[in-house]
Amino acid sequence: MSLKAENISKRYGSGLLREGKCIFREVSFELEPGKTFGLMGPSGEGKSTLGRIIAGLESPTDGAVLLNGNPLSGMKKAEYAAFRHRVQMMFQDPTDSFNPRKRIEHSISEVLKLLNNQETKRLQITKEMLKTIGLPEEVLARYPAQLSGGQLQRLALGRILLLEPEYIVLDEPTSALDVSVQAQILHLLKKVQEEQGIGYLLISHDEAVIRFMSERIGMLKKGKLDMIRT
Amino acid sequence: MMQKEIYIQESPRQWKDFIAHYLNLDIRKYEKAFKKFNRGGLFLFFFFLILALFPSLFAPYPPTERFVSYEPPSVAHLLGTNDIGNDILSELVYGARISMMVGFASACISTLIGLMIGLCSGYFRGTMDELLMGFTDVVLIIPKIPLIIIIGAFLHPSIWTLILVLGLLSWESIARVVRSKTLQIREAGYVKSAQCMGFSSFHIMASDIFPNLIHVLLPKFMLATASAMISEASLSFLGLGDINMKSWGIMLSFAFSRGGFIRDMWWWYIPPGVCITLCVMSIALIGFGFEGKDENGKRGVDAE
Repeated sequence: MSLKAENISKRYGSGLLREGKCIFREVSFELEPGKTFGLMGPSGEGKSTLGRIIAGLESPTDGAVLLNGNPLSGMKKAEYAAFRHRVQMMFQDPTDSFNPRKRIEHSISEVLKLLNNQETKRLQITKEMLKTIGLPEEVLARYPAQLSGGQLQRLALGRILLLEPEYIVLDEPTSALDVSVQAQILHLLKKVQEEQGIGYLLISHDEAVIRFMSERIGMLKKGKLDMIRT
Repeated sequence: MMQKEIYIQESPRQWKDFIAHYLNLDIRKYEKAFKKFNRGGLFLFFFFLILALFPSLFAPYPPTERFVSYEPPSVAHLLGTNDIGNDILSELVYGARISMMVGFASACISTLIGLMIGLCSGYFRGTMDELLMGFTDVVLIIPKIPLIIIIGAFLHPSIWTLILVLGLLSWESIARVVRSKTLQIREAGYVKSAQCMGFSSFHIMASDIFPNLIHVLLPKFMLATASAMISEASLSFLGLGDINMKSWGIMLSFAFSRGGFIRDMWWWYIPPGVCITLCVMSIALIGFGFEGKDENGKRGVDAE
């Protein structure tokens, strides 16, 4: 399965008469399974917007995101539902990625319910997931506010992995964490990638993180994507 | 002396520890929640709630029993009797139920409508938002009391029509507050990731957004109750209430039309007025108590 961005442009604030501001223009790249595409660039250049477009949370002004050659915008409901599970997104702020009113257990079992898992199986799947991300079972009974940023980011990754995605858009997954925790999360991401062959789109302004993680690197600057490492 | 003081300081913690340990009931958890309320308001409110729930315990006579009319306060009738000889204290006690029922029922209706409209327009945005908010603005500028008087004149006067009309016309401010809060929450990471994982919009609204709205919805609900009670009183005073179900407003209306004011029978018109004021004040105080404090019990600016 391939995920491809083809000539994507995005404008903000355009209306009938106004042109709007162009964030980036005709950006094309392809994600490969099991490999990481690193996206760098100064802030305000639309890196996160590009990530959200790839994840299908926003639609581009021009161009298309292609899944196996099918554009996202023209998908039927069933196809789109399948896409929704295949491409996931992980966000910058780990404290924000779980509902503060729910215990972690609840947030995770909701996802398992969505996947129509039997109740007896759910606990087992959750335990396996916790083993993969390296957290004890006690975290399940906690509220998000009672866990650290690193723990929450691991759980966010774990919850995404339950859906068995083929691609994950990582929107600055480590920039809200301190350096030692950053390294742990990056190693975990690499381990998961090797085990499950997931393709990453890694968005970061930290060049060291990008160089450590990525096979190919692109730089989004002044509305254009330049390939740095191919 | 020293020891005694220490003992006094220690003792409340000890019995709470004791209960927590032996009865598996940690009072301290509820204490924190209790601090969110305004206690004076809560006390008054429970007083009226008990009056409303068990009127027969407090009223000396059934509200329809007749005695000599226009009697001043005496030992037999603490607040005297009215024009048809009903005991005013009993009427007052039984009126609590009707006034509070109108207030709460119409607040329920308006909160429900406001919640739905606010959630939908805040979550879906776009055309839906503009249509719903346009409609809300239209409802907002309609003068309520004249409209209710017109509707009341055409419909059969009963408390159910009153509840319905008050509920259907007072949801706009709730809808606006819910919308603005929803707009804020929908940008949060957990809503975005729920969208990304393919949860339905209904599921996201019900399980991710709604629980985070409760702390703005509760004070709004309380204030809606208070304002519905005031509207009920003023409408009943204007003669649009249900005569078979005597609320405080209807008592005032009768005191006015049957000569209570002219004869200067203060025991007829002051008690219902005081009851309305105190009851509305208690509910509003509870609402303010909720409003001023955020989840952590601190005074927050964000509370709208």
